[in-house]
Amino acid sequence: MGSLLQVLFDALSLGSLYALGALGIALIFGVMRLVNFAHGDVIAACVFALLWPSVDAVAIIFAGNLPWYLLIPFLLAIGAALSVASEIVVFRRFRRANPATMMIASFALGFVIRYFLLMLFSSRPKSISLLPSLSQPVEILGARIPLLQLITIAVTMAVLFGLTTFLRRTRFGLEMRAAAENFTMARMLGVRANRVIMGAFALSGALAAAIALILGSQTGTANIMMGASVMLMAFIATVIGGMGSLAGAVLAGFLLGAIATVMQVILPPDARAFRDAFVYGAVILVLIFRPQGLLSARGTKERV
Amino acid sequence: MKRLMTALAATTCLTAPALADDDKIIVGFATAETGFMQAYDKPAQDAAMIRIAEINASGGLLGKQIEVVNADTKTDRAEGAKAGLTVIDAGADMVVVSCDYDFGSPAALAAESAGLPSFFLCAESIKAGIQGVGPNSFSASVLAAVQGATMAEWSYTKKEARTFYRLLDTWTEYNKGICDGFDYMLPKLADATLVGEDTFLNEDASIAAQITRIKALPEEPDAIMLCTMMPGAVSAIKQIRAAGINSMILNGSGVDGSYWLSAVPDLSNFFVPVQGSIYGDDPNPDVTAFNAKYKEVTGGDPSTQYVYPGYVMIDVWAKAVERAGTTETTAVVAELEKMNAEPTLFGPRTFTSELHHQNQARYLIVETNAGKPGVVDEWTISEPIPVADLMK
Repeated sequence: MGSLLQVLFDALSLGSLYALGALGIALIFGVMRLVNFAHGDVIAACVFALLWPSVDAVAIIFAGNLPWYLLIPFLLAIGAALSVASEIVVFRRFRRANPATMMIASFALGFVIRYFLLMLFSSRPKSISLLPSLSQPVEILGARIPLLQLITIAVTMAVLFGLTTFLRRTRFGLEMRAAAENFTMARMLGVRANRVIMGAFALSGALAAAIALILGSQTGTANIMMGASVMLMAFIATVIGGMGSLAGAVLAGFLLGAIATVMQVILPPDARAFRDAFVYGAVILVLIFRPQGLLSARGTKERV
Repeated sequence: MKRLMTALAATTCLTAPALADDDKIIVGFATAETGFMQAYDKPAQDAAMIRIAEINASGGLLGKQIEVVNADTKTDRAEGAKAGLTVIDAGADMVVVSCDYDFGSPAALAAESAGLPSFFLCAESIKAGIQGVGPNSFSASVLAAVQGATMAEWSYTKKEARTFYRLLDTWTEYNKGICDGFDYMLPKLADATLVGEDTFLNEDASIAAQITRIKALPEEPDAIMLCTMMPGAVSAIKQIRAAGINSMILNGSGVDGSYWLSAVPDLSNFFVPVQGSIYGDDPNPDVTAFNAKYKEVTGGDPSTQYVYPGYVMIDVWAKAVERAGTTETTAVVAELEKMNAEPTLFGPRTFTSELHHQNQARYLIVETNAGKPGVVDEWTISEPIPVADLMK
């Protein structure tokens, strides 16, 4: 019982991470059909925002020393600001470009961010102690769960709930959903495009910062490549969730987390090294049977 | 630092047109001055420069001054081959290549085909030597397998560990090497058992599932053999302790250093094998003196034990040249292969015509207790790991 519960928590916490990432990508894809591959590098940049630039082996903690009630809003603001800035500086100029061009631009932006971090901090991974009080186990129904896992799951649930309320209950949310459904029509009906798009970028950036906080406190490491693996999983989650569908992205994120965790549990030791191959195998299966994704967004369907 | 740079600049300028010069000996460094390997190559190279400066100050090698030429591999394999050729063209008598086998081998192969001896700065794969490059290639460090074997035998003998858990990060050959050494040693330890094993990937955001498997054991294992390296090592250690697992954690030398300990505050029961101590408590006072000299030259303390192989490299090579009375490759390699437990500042070194690497070495054991690392013991595995086992 205890160990089953433990597996459940493992799957949920990993899934939360992927779901938050997928949501950040799906939000932007929804409003402007852009697959933002710079998202992973925004995550890394948020972690490095806690440190003072230096190429020494020992990290110089800067913002990371703030108390948590200042640290969290600070980092969310950094993420949102970076993301909005990337919209203003780069993506705004590609508004009319085709999606492939925008995707290439997002790759380029990702490289710029990554090499900027490389210049300031070197490629050597840095160690940080972020919110150390979260690195303690708590006992629940016979399972000893790291506190951070619980918080990750709780935060994800809160973010999902908050975002749903925001999208369903506020005018801005309505505009955003309208824009995701049919951008041209929404503009014609008076939705201000720039505002909606910037809103989506800000939300996506804040989600990247939330992932940065979780990854930072979980791994204790800042590494310029650290966003890449989460970004890849998150992107896959948006694809199998149905491009542009927020609910689909979240569902697929949790599904991927669950598959990865279960594979690690059930595979024999020799096959465990190839766990990701099995995970991607499952992804291929999903796409064979539901090429449009689990929950396809209405706006992305071909209309004949 | 400034002094070192001036010395480097001076020697580099002087030796540019030198081919088969008779009044000096040239060491060519085809190492990474840029890119991520720089973080590994630079400290070992600085240590090598210290040994070169010492030899030059005491009258040189065979009465000649040692001079240095450099070429940047830019942490790229193709550039590595070019860098190797560059230093060979500049008249190098010995070629020093990047720390890692994958990044150092292109330059080492260039040296091999030019008939020159080459040294990997700190590669710990058996391929960094005869097996992967050729008969004139050496590594200055100790095989990763020796680290795993050392930790298994030491914890069994000195800490009475009987139940072991093996957690392997499948990212690099180095990681697998540590676990191979552990696998070699474990069956030789009476009533030591492997109670479980698992793998993860260095970049995994979470190893929760792996930890759950450890916790599902009826009893916490005495020791967890963790075969991994930076940056994933910090994440794994942090998550293991955050889950409330207090078993002894055994590692390879790759996690030596205190620069990352802030990520896991108050870490205890954590053991690393090192060739020399950067913590100022090495049983050999000369090592502490070396650390001070390193700080004087580079402006910082050594951040890990991977500084030391650079010093050992120049030391053993210079001794071989001195004994051979020439820098001619066959003679120098023959002298190196005669070295049996040759004393160095960082423990004895042995090379044979079969293996240009250490399959047995004295290691200091560093224990981290309440966040403070320090030397607690030293250990040499009871017998060398046979080459056949290393080639698996």
